Parts: sequence; structure tokens; C-alpha cells
Amino acid sequence: MTSPTSRPDVTVVVIVYNDEDRLERAVRSVLDQTLRSCEVVVVDDCSTDRTPEVAARLAAAEPRVRSVRLPENSGGCGRPRNVGMVQARGRYVMFLDSDDTLDRHACLNLLATAEQTGAELVCGRSVRHYVERGTQESWMGRLFRRQAVHESLSDEPQLFYDLLATNKMYARDFLTRQHLAFPEDRLYEDMLFATHAYLTANRIAVIPHQIYNWNIVEKTATLSISNRTAELRNMADRISISRDMDQLLAKYGTPELQLRKDIRFIEHDLQVHLALLPLQDADRQQALIDIAAPYLADLGQAAFTAAHKLYAIAAFMVAKRDLPGVLATVDFVTRRRKAPHLTTDLVEREGRVYWCDRHLDDPLGREVLDVTGFGLHDRPVRRLEVGSRLTAVESSPRHVSMHGELVNPLERFPADGSVSARLEFTDRRRRRRRFHVPVELQHRGRRIGWTADFDPHLVLRPMGFVDPVYSIRLELRIGGETSTQRIFAGDAVIRDFRLPIRPRLTTLSGDWLRAYRTTAGNLALRMAAEGRAARAGVRTLRRIRSTTVGGHAWVRVRTAEAAVVSALTRRATKVAAYHRVLTRLPVNRHRVVFESHMGKQYSDSPKYIFEELRRRGLPYDTVWAYADVPTGFPEDARLVRRGSWAYFHALATARFWVDNQGFPHDLRKRPETRYIQTWHGSAFKRMGFDEATIKQATYDRQQRLQQAIDRFDTFLIRSDHDARTLARGMRVSGELMPVGYPRNDALVTGGDPTELTALRERLGLTDDRRVLLYAPTFRPRPGRGPHRMHVPFDLDRFAGEFGDRMVLLVRPHYLETVALPPGLAGTVRSVAGVHDITPLMLITDALITDYSSVMFDYALLDRPMLFHVPDFDDYVGQSRGCYFDLAEHAPGPLTHDDEELFSALADLDTVARDHAERRADFRARFGEYDNGHAAKAVVDHFFVPGGSRG
Amino acid sequence: MAEQRDIFLVCNSIDEVGGVQQWAHDLSRLFAARGHRVHLVGIEKAAEFRDYGTDPSYQRTILHDALPKAWRPRGIGHLNVPRRITRSRREAMVDRGAARLSELFRAARPGGVIIVAQVWAQEWVIRADTAGLRVIGMTHESYEASRRTSRYARVKRFYPDVHRLLALTEEDADAWAWNGMSNAGAMPNPVMATPVTRPDLSRPAVVTLRRLAHDKGIDMLVEAWAQVAPQHPDWQLSIYGSGPDEELLRRHARELGLDDRQIFRGLTTDLDAALSSASVYALPSREEGFPIALMEAMAYGLPSVAFDCAPGVRELLEDEVSGLLINPGNVPGFAAALERLIKDPDLRGRLGGQARESVGRFSPEAVVGRWEQLFELLHR
Repeated sequence: MTSPTSRPDVTVVVIVYNDEDRLERAVRSVLDQTLRSCEVVVVDDCSTDRTPEVAARLAAAEPRVRSVRLPENSGGCGRPRNVGMVQARGRYVMFLDSDDTLDRHACLNLLATAEQTGAELVCGRSVRHYVERGTQESWMGRLFRRQAVHESLSDEPQLFYDLLATNKMYARDFLTRQHLAFPEDRLYEDMLFATHAYLTANRIAVIPHQIYNWNIVEKTATLSISNRTAELRNMADRISISRDMDQLLAKYGTPELQLRKDIRFIEHDLQVHLALLPLQDADRQQALIDIAAPYLADLGQAAFTAAHKLYAIAAFMVAKRDLPGVLATVDFVTRRRKAPHLTTDLVEREGRVYWCDRHLDDPLGREVLDVTGFGLHDRPVRRLEVGSRLTAVESSPRHVSMHGELVNPLERFPADGSVSARLEFTDRRRRRRRFHVPVELQHRGRRIGWTADFDPHLVLRPMGFVDPVYSIRLELRIGGETSTQRIFAGDAVIRDFRLPIRPRLTTLSGDWLRAYRTTAGNLALRMAAEGRAARAGVRTLRRIRSTTVGGHAWVRVRTAEAAVVSALTRRATKVAAYHRVLTRLPVNRHRVVFESHMGKQYSDSPKYIFEELRRRGLPYDTVWAYADVPTGFPEDARLVRRGSWAYFHALATARFWVDNQGFPHDLRKRPETRYIQTWHGSAFKRMGFDEATIKQATYDRQQRLQQAIDRFDTFLIRSDHDARTLARGMRVSGELMPVGYPRNDALVTGGDPTELTALRERLGLTDDRRVLLYAPTFRPRPGRGPHRMHVPFDLDRFAGEFGDRMVLLVRPHYLETVALPPGLAGTVRSVAGVHDITPLMLITDALITDYSSVMFDYALLDRPMLFHVPDFDDYVGQSRGCYFDLAEHAPGPLTHDDEELFSALADLDTVARDHAERRADFRARFGEYDNGHAAKAVVDHFFVPGGSRG
Repeated sequence: MAEQRDIFLVCNSIDEVGGVQQWAHDLSRLFAARGHRVHLVGIEKAAEFRDYGTDPSYQRTILHDALPKAWRPRGIGHLNVPRRITRSRREAMVDRGAARLSELFRAARPGGVIIVAQVWAQEWVIRADTAGLRVIGMTHESYEASRRTSRYARVKRFYPDVHRLLALTEEDADAWAWNGMSNAGAMPNPVMATPVTRPDLSRPAVVTLRRLAHDKGIDMLVEAWAQVAPQHPDWQLSIYGSGPDEELLRRHARELGLDDRQIFRGLTTDLDAALSSASVYALPSREEGFPIALMEAMAYGLPSVAFDCAPGVRELLEDEVSGLLINPGNVPGFAAALERLIKDPDLRGRLGGQARESVGRFSPEAVVGRWEQLFELLHR
């Protein structure tokens, strides 16, 4: 316990300026610490409100509080903190702003760590609290996942991303010894102070504990006039502080740390200011750029190449004083909830994709502006989110004409008439209510203009009352795929854009849809009342809602409706209905549900069984499940989206389930349904209960998996190896059917020549070069979302050495994506878009793989196979384990680096000849039942009337 | 000598069979030996009784003979009158128990601490008068294991206001801190075993002492052994322990061609004999907190093979230094590691020696010292 005379462990300097309401809360958060040995020094920056009285009251009531008042206002945080530091008596010092609070255990955690580790600087986690939204998030959380002690900043240069002064505890004799002080004449004083502390502390400790509650009142997206002017000073201060940081780094740091700081400047500091740029007028925009340009021009080139690509482009454009270039990057940055909007015209030069056609003669520009890695040239158009600008609207009472424009990145939307478009208006609260308006497209060089002419009274029929907000999107359709674009607009367009409407219920609910800008930055419409009737109606409604009873009723109706909608669409509801209701409906004896790779593809053995059924004209109600888009699925089958009501209904009432991986594990199969599990490949890696992750799982999880597998009635195998490995590892209790894989029939019989010719043409394989297929196995990586595939050999070199003789088709796993440089397109092509790999195997002359099960199938073709395994020791030795020694059985050479791979490729024929015998052994061992009649055997057995199980 | 304090150690039960109870009695004895006044409190009488001796150096209290099960009415359950009556009876009992605790706590001198060993017991402490005392909550399992049970929600509900929340390892404490428990810290278990007979690491025997249950992973050890045994017929695996899966595991061993009668040795009370006659210790668990059995094996100087399943295991064993750590579930890897130790007596000696030295970090003196430092910090 501290008495006013004994020395406290910690002094917390609380600075305050005109904050009478919150000061006490901040001070209280210190006094309530679990660590009692701490004192508070309140430094009042000459407030003009009642702050001094609050401070005096707190100091009088509590001996641990002292208060100091500056004689004149300093206008910043620097001087008050410096004054507080001088007043501090504790062995350690912390800083707190009057609008924030300390976590209750902050001082104890930091002090305990400081004493245990001897560190003069201890950092903890700040949490930003968004006051209006009531949400919170960690500031630079990734730096604070684990506790750590660093002997110097060089051990963890990432700390540069946390330059706050407030989430840290400093030994007071360290502050004195190093003469640490905040600059008093500029903003961003924290950054300089924290940098100085990081660079000179004997040791830096980091803890994951929440220390500092940083309260944030969000600013609206408009800047007041004074703030607009202030931005010029902000930018100048930022540059000045950065220059001072560079001096500290020159004195105490290393080139590596300097680079880290530069990267931080590009990715973070500069971005803060650039994000506000669109809110300024053009003159001030240029003035801001001009302030920053000289500093960026001095920055080392390495920072531009190491920083995040888009931010590096922005910084580069600033250095070049290219204002339009800067603004285009700001448009494309995704920040918080702001949506990206592509407004630059990409260009392709020598096979690479560049951000724009300017600055490409500058070698640094060429490197920085190379955005091939964004994959905008080859990602599916449905994932091409470029946005579109609404440029003008003309309206008369019965007619509206909307004009807009979007960039056409690398002519992904061809001008050959194959693209159609429409506008879609969607009720933002109930997505099912939507209206469409046809759109005319005009291709204008690298841009596409569009026009929509319509009579809003006829097209837009909202309900009224229940659907006050609509979003508006542009849908582009090309070859069965839909690309949906958000719509952006300038202030003037948004101000004037309104559509007259007649709601179905009554015009009392509103008579116009008025444009506004969402938090994501795009255009949406809100119902408004302008006519006399509508104004009266809305006023009445507002009055009703303002009464207690009326308000409650309104809220209750709205919550009830939301609850009903969410209950009906929730997966748990569907699963419950599946088990309690749908599976009690009669089974349809002719219904067969097909699925391949959880609905991601129309492929593999389910496809070939389906086609055999169709070829023989058997009267079945065939249903295919698709995951995202129905593109590429057969038109003569019924298509259901995986997870939809129709999907659960089809599964519940089907006579047959046919699948290669697994229908949702939590669905019980009714006894009348027969589940034909074709599986999707023989096993090299350990599978099922032989797999480490499953072995390691809890009893419950293992049981759930076992129950899912116990649903299989029939499991197709292609060799005794499958029975010994796959079926045993997965503890398959169903019947093993030794007929081989239907998908492999074509590999034995040669496939359909017309289909293969069409595929060759589609892939542009028209010359007589040999075609190689590169199909590696899936490498799971942490994190969500599609994985980017990494090709582990030099594609440029491949193209250089073999481009005249060979074409390489790159096949990522269905859970991965790949971005290949378009310049290599003559030689290296992605075949990610082809659902079915079997015809791909048939049109290729050789295979490069690693550990993928494609090896077992390709072996049936008796064509050369190479196993490129640079990570062999790691992969095979690692946790998964394998069923056999690849080196011993592989029907082709194992190559471990580019050298070995390319020399094998150079001599492909010899390689093929040398391994002929091994290929035959491999085929016999792993594909003994694959005789080309698997689909027929399955159909005869299960689907032909009078067949054994018909 | 540090300041002598009143220490209350509150557990769900103090005479139940279990690791936490053993730990609580050990710690009480250690504190008492340092001159602290220790009071060990159990909320409820044991269901499965074990005698932990009658050391007079610390006091013991049990609050309730038998408590009705906790129950919270949901939906139509509100109409269940008999259960509602039981529930209010239970509430009244908990209040009486808490009042009893308050009496004990009020008698404490300044500087006292309350250690709540399990979150369930905190329901009583939270209702009691703890003025002037510092409260330390504990979670005796890994963060991940806790995540999978209802205890996670209860830790978040009942522990946020205790002065310190102690996990078993720094890694677990970090996970709690990251997930909102800003009072999280770490405190290891002490190793209490003092070897009588030192194994000379020449006997062809692998040993483990584990309960025969799924989370202890004995099935994986048996599978690994089935890969090792044929090459080393002179070596013997001994598993001491009993549990619900015994029959299943014996069958599993027979199916793999092993002699289950030789392997499964049942429960033993003679730790010294079991450990001193072996040369390798195996810890095949799927889940662990801070495994005392592994610490004991280390204290005996045995080299260990363990699945890297929890922070507690990583904290004890450093791979290739004081033992061999295998990725969880990698049975062939576990087998290969056993085989390495079987074939290489030098490696056994090196790892075993390091293990004995390294486990010294958790000697009773070291751990009690850490506790006393924490008490001092909390009373500053």
C-alpha cells in the first residue's frame, strides 16, 4: 500500500484538455488497478472548461492523485506529457489520455513483466473501442499474440507498426538516462518518442494482455473546412517527424530497421493522409502531394519493392507527383468497410500486367507497377470486382436515363457482343425482392460505357414501409458467368439522383428513392417522402413510432420478421427439417443426387455414372448439386445449390446418393437410400483414421466421422491396394466394389474424340508441340479463403528452354487458385477452369506431379510421368505419413530441383523408355480393376431394372 | 523468509481421487512448511474417496456433504416444479456455504490470499466476503482443452474479476490474455517425486502410467508398439493404469498381434518400482494440462517420447534435448522415436540426464518461491 511519502511502483501521467466529463473515469481506471502502488499525475493543458475543478477535487479526495496545470495551452500532447514525466515519482511511468482508460490489471501485468525480465520498456495490447458502433478490435493485434522479450528492436522489427506511447510502461531512470522527451511543436509526437524508446531500451518485453482502452468516436466522411486546411499541416508534421525518426535510426539503428520504418511509412503513415485526399479540392490535393513528394523521392528503392504492392504504387505516384495516379490507387484500396473500385487502365507489356501505361520507362516504376500478381487478367469474371461509376442521370417524370462507365481490365469483357448487362435493384433487408433494368453497353477503348433508359414507375415497385433501402448494382453477363459491380458516384450525382416510385402498399410510405453513399462508399437508394401525401404519411408513421406502444409494436414486428427470415434460412433449421420432416416424405424411386467435390465441380466418377445413365436413356430424375455457380453443370439435370432447401429435399427423398467425397457429415441417411461412394483417388498419403489429425481428434469427432463413413453402402475400389489402405484407413463398413473408377474408363478406352478435339481448341492447343500437365497435390495453409498455388519451378526458364517444343498446362487443386503471367500464355496456361481432369489427361503427352493421386490414374495411359518433389523429405517425413515409399515404386524419376526437372524434360523420350517396366508394375499394382467398364458395371448393378439392386 | 500469510486453497473436493486434489494437498504441505497458515477447503464431499493422509500442518474444511446437481430452467422446463424446488434448495445451500467461507475469510489477517483451484468452486467464493484478501483463480488444463468444454464459458464468467487467473503454462496464459482475460498469468505444478532407485537405462522396457481413456491416447501407443515390437522382441512395453477403455484397448492390442496380458499391468501404487525398472517413458496423450506423470519420469532421469499435444508438454520437454516430441497423431513418427531410443543407449542417457536437470525448474522450492513472489506482488 502506498502512502504519499513512499515511492510508488508506477506513475500514470494523465493529460487532459477541456474534458471535464471524462477525466474522472480515466483517473478512476488508475485508482482501481489491482496494483495499488501507483499514483496519478494529472496534467491540465490549460483547459477553459471545468476540468481544473474536477482535477482539484480528485487530488483532494485521493492522496495518490496530484494535479498540475500548464500556464498556457500547448495545443498538443507533447508538453503536458513532458511536464508529467518530470513530476513522476514512480519507478515506472505510463501515459493515459483523459478520454481513454487503462485495463484494470494493466499496471500489474506490465510491472510484473518488467521486474521478471528486467526490460526497461514493456508493451501491451491496445484495444480500440468504437463508441457509436459499440464494437472493439485490437490495434496491431498480430504483434501481441504471444509474450516475448527482445534484446533489441532488430529482434522484432515488426514492432515498428506499434508506435503508440500509451500502451507501454517505461522505467523512469531509463527515461532520464536517455533524455527521452516528446516533441512539443508537432503532431505525431508518439511516433518519435516510441521510436526513441525502442532504439535505446536495454530490452523490450511484449505481453498479449489488454492494457489500454482507446475510445474512438468515428468521424464522418466529410472534413470540415478547418480540417481540410489542417491536413496540410498534418502532412508537413508527418514528414518532419519521419525525418527525425530517420535521424534516430541513423544514430542507433541498422539499415534493416531503416527499411522497416520506410515500409511502415508507405503502408501506414502515408495511407492515413491519402485516404482523406478525395475529400479535398484539386488544388489542395496537389499541394498535399507536393509536400510529401520530396521525402518519398529520397526514400530507398528497397522500401517500394518490399511494401505491399498497392501502397507502394501509391507512394511511387506521390514521388512522381502524379495526382491522377495517386487517386486511382486510393480508389482501389480496401480499407475497413470501403469497397475497392478499379479506375486505372491496366496495360499489358511483354507479357506482364502493369497498373497504368505511365512511368514504365523508369526501372523502379516497371517493378512497382507490375501487378501481374493481382491476377486481374485471369481470375474468373465473377470474382472481378472493379466497380462502376455513375456519371450522369437525366430524369423527367416518366423517364430516367442513367449513364455510367467502368474500366475494362485487359479487355476481359470483349467487344464482340458476347457481354450483356442489366441493373439490379435489391431490397437491402430482403434480398429476394429485386427489380431489373436492361442496360446498353458501348465499348470505348479500355472503358465500357453503359446507359439504362426506363420508366421508374413501371419497373420499380417497392412494397413501402417494409423496404426503405435498396442497393443498386450493375450485372455483366458473359458466357454463363455473372460479374456484379458496385456503383460509385461523385457528390453532385448523388445529390441530384432520385427516382419517382409508387410503392405497392401506398404512396403514404414514400414517393421517391433518393441516392446516398453507404459506409462502403458505394451508391444505394433510400425511400423519401416529398409529395404532400407521402410527407403526411411518413409524419404520421413517425408519430406512431414515437409513442411507447407504437414504438414497441414497430420494433416487435420488425424483430419478429427478421427472426422468421433468419430462422428459415439458417442451416440448422434446414438440417432439423431434413431429419424431422423431409426424410419422412416418400422416397422417389427414380431420384439420384450427384455431387462431386462438395459441389465445386461437374467431374470425376459421379459425372461418368451420370453420363452412362443418360446415354442409356434410363428414366431417372437426376439432380446435381453445385456449390457456387451452376456454370459447367449439365443442363438436362436438375441443378440444386448445395445447402439450399431444394438440396436438402432432394437428398431426403432420393433413392440413390452418388458422390466422390462426402455429403454433409451431419445428415443421416435414411435406410431406403443407397449411397454409392465412388471416392476420388487412390491413396499415397495416409487417409482417414490413419491420418494424424484424425488420430489425434477427440472421441466425439472420431465418432462423427465414423458415422459419416458408415453411411456408405458401396465404396468403389480400383485395386487391392485401395482395400488395404483407403478402405481400411477410413474404416469403411460398406461393401467394396472392385470395378475400378468410372472416371478412368476413358483413360483405358481413349475417350470421346469430339470432346477431346473441342477441349484442345478451347485451350488453344492447335500446334504440334507436346503438351505437359502439371498437377500437384493440395498443400493446406493456415487461413481462410482460396489459396494461391505456388509453382515450385522457374516458369520463365521453362518457357525459354522448352517453349518451342512444349506447352505446360497448370492444374491447381480445386481449392486453390493460380495467377500465371500472361506473357507466358503461349507456353504456360492455367486449366483451373476445366472441371474434369480426365480429358485433360487424355490430351496431354506427359505428366508432372508430386504426391497427388493423379499419379495412379495417369499411369493407366502409359505415358511419361515425372515426380517433382523439391520438398520430399519435409513432406514425406512430416506429420501425414505415407502408405508406400514413393522412390521405390514411382513410375518415373523423382526430381528435386529445377536442374533435375529440366534435364529430365530435355530427354523425355529416354526417361519414358527407361521407366516402361516400372509403369507397367505400377499400373498392375494400383489399377488392377480399371478395365474401362466401371460406369457400365455400376449402372448395370444398381440402375437397370432387373439388375441386382435396381 | 517471506512474509507469513493466511492462505485459503479452495477446491471442488479435497478427498476425491484426482490430480488436482493430490496437487492441492502437496501445495498445502509445502506452504505450511514455509510457515504459512494454510486452510484447505473442499466445496463438496468426494464421490470416489481417497485418503490423502492426516498431515496436521494445515486445516481442512468441507462445506457440503452432498449437493443437488445444478440446473437452469429453459423453455418449457420452467414448469418443472420438483426441479425448481431442488434448485432453490441448492441455492440456499450455496448461500450457506458461502457464508461459511465468509466467516473463515474474515478471520484472516491482512496479507491473506485465496487460491481457487477450479472454476466451479469460484461460484462460492464469488458470493463470499473476500474484503482485504487477494483472490487467485486457477485453470488446471490447457486453454485448448478448456475451449472444448463448458468450463471455458465459466472461466470467462466467474474469473474476470479475480486479481490473478493462473494457467499452467505461459503459452496457455497468453491464449487466455489474448482472449480477453487480462488478469492471466502462469504457475506450473511442482514435481513432488523424489527418486528412491535410479533407473540405469539398460533394462529393455518402455513404460507409461496413464488412465486408460481416449484422451490419454493409449490406442496410439499400442499401434506404435505394434510397429516396434517385431524388430525388438526382447523389449517390453508396460502400461500401468486402469480406466473405461481397458477392454477395448486389450482387444486392440490382440488384434495387432501383441500380448495384452504382458502390456497392461493394471494400477500400481509403487511408482518407484514402475519407473526405476524402465529405460524409456511414453506419453501418447491427445490432451494434457501440465502432466505430473511426465515430470516424475523426468525426475527419474527417463528419456521420454511424447505427442506435442499441449503447451504443458512443450514446456516440460524440449525436442531432442530433454525428450522427443512428435506431431500429434503421427503414430509412425512415435514408433520411429521409440525405436531410436531403443537402439541408442547414448541418446537415452543424454536425454534422460537433461530431463532430470530440466525438471529441476519445477522443484517444490522453485514453485513455492514463485507463489510467494506472486502473493507479494498482489499485496503491493
